[in-house]
Amino acid sequence: MTGRFAVMLRDAQFWVPVAVLVGGLLVLIWIR
Amino acid sequence: MDPVAPAPAPAALDPARLRGLQLAGVASGFTAGAWLGAAEAPTKMVVLGLSPVVISLAMVVGVFLARWSLPALLRGTTAIGADVRQAPHLVVWAVLAGCLWAVANTLTIYAIKDIGLSVAFPLWNANSLLGILWGAVFFNELRGAGWSRVVAVLGGAAVMCTGAALLAVASAAQAPAGHAARGVAAALAAGALWGTMYIPYRKAYLTGMNPLAFVTFFTVGELGMMSALALADRGGLGALVAELSGARDVLFWLLLGGFVWVVGDLFQQYAAKYVGISRGIPLSNTNQLWGLVWGLLVFGELHGGARATYAQVIGGSLLMALGAALIALASATGPEHRRWQEAAAREGQRYGIDPAVVRAGLAGESTAGPARRRTWLDWALVTSATAVFVALGLVARVPDLRLGWAWVAGLTLAMLALLGGTGILLWRTTRFN
Repeated sequence: MTGRFAVMLRDAQFWVPVAVLVGGLLVLIWIR
Repeated sequence: MDPVAPAPAPAALDPARLRGLQLAGVASGFTAGAWLGAAEAPTKMVVLGLSPVVISLAMVVGVFLARWSLPALLRGTTAIGADVRQAPHLVVWAVLAGCLWAVANTLTIYAIKDIGLSVAFPLWNANSLLGILWGAVFFNELRGAGWSRVVAVLGGAAVMCTGAALLAVASAAQAPAGHAARGVAAALAAGALWGTMYIPYRKAYLTGMNPLAFVTFFTVGELGMMSALALADRGGLGALVAELSGARDVLFWLLLGGFVWVVGDLFQQYAAKYVGISRGIPLSNTNQLWGLVWGLLVFGELHGGARATYAQVIGGSLLMALGAALIALASATGPEHRRWQEAAAREGQRYGIDPAVVRAGLAGESTAGPARRRTWLDWALVTSATAVFVALGLVARVPDLRLGWAWVAGLTLAMLALLGGTGILLWRTTRFN
């Protein structure tokens, strides 16, 4: 893994959309 | 939250240049609204029992074709490749944003089914308020803007949400059946996903990436996630292919809807880049107004409706227009733009990106030197996408619908005028950077 991708994984801003995506998928599974 | 040390303060942008960029961004937001709103029109030509998820997938296929062919035509794959090499990690952000869009779009289908458009639309339209929050917290938007501008943006977004609620109540065709809690959860989740989707947008544009490069990878996430959702919904590849094959005489209209949507979305990307997400999202949310105009004038919706319905339509439209005008007039000034530059410099420092690329990106310029020629790959992409549209157009069935053709011509002319005017403005101001 290159330096920039490692920095990305430590970037708090990256995990906000990831968390929201996981939450959205869970809601989708629940309502179907 | 931010472990990176403060970056050195960048030089302020020339005020005339800043005004030009803000004008291009605001015009892009309004043009995005017009084209995104019109994207629904071709899909209304489809009157058959297709699954909503399959309709959404077919539109995304049109989106995918447009997102690979239009950037190739406007900028060329060589320039897009050069952009990506500057910051390859942004490809992951773009794919992530595409996944967020696909899940949100699917959630809205279920939300409409469970609680109806009138309740669902205002709930997910609150994405603009979330966008304002993310813009301020992560990207220094509205910082140093002065109270009058902050109040205008927040007030404008709130007024637009109220207008959107009135329009949604007026356009709700029928009462939905049950499952209120699930429907509300789906609509709120869709708003959260769409509001958060702009974090990757802003991240990419602060770092200097060209919107035409970003959307090329955004659509990979979009198509991948939508295909996975459609496969899960239909219960396998065989069933999905059979349904698509059975609908081949209407696929053209769905793909056309996706194509129109992409034109709007391209302008939405430029709005996010040049006026930020706190202003760009509410401006492109005027798409609801355009969708309603198409429905009323072309498809004859609400014909013979109650007086109260027309009052809601007029009141909601005026409120949306007022909110959009408030936001458009509260464009960023020098001190706020300096804070954007600081956020961009912090991004560049964190990810080790050439400061010249970051600075040029925010100023609407390019560091790539003279324009590159189109290659065989660019022409192959454009030709293939065109061939798919022509092939599906040849087998397309024109539904027997009574349409207001004079209004189709008038609205199409208005959209083309916005496309041409804003396109020329963007080209003169930024060269599509």
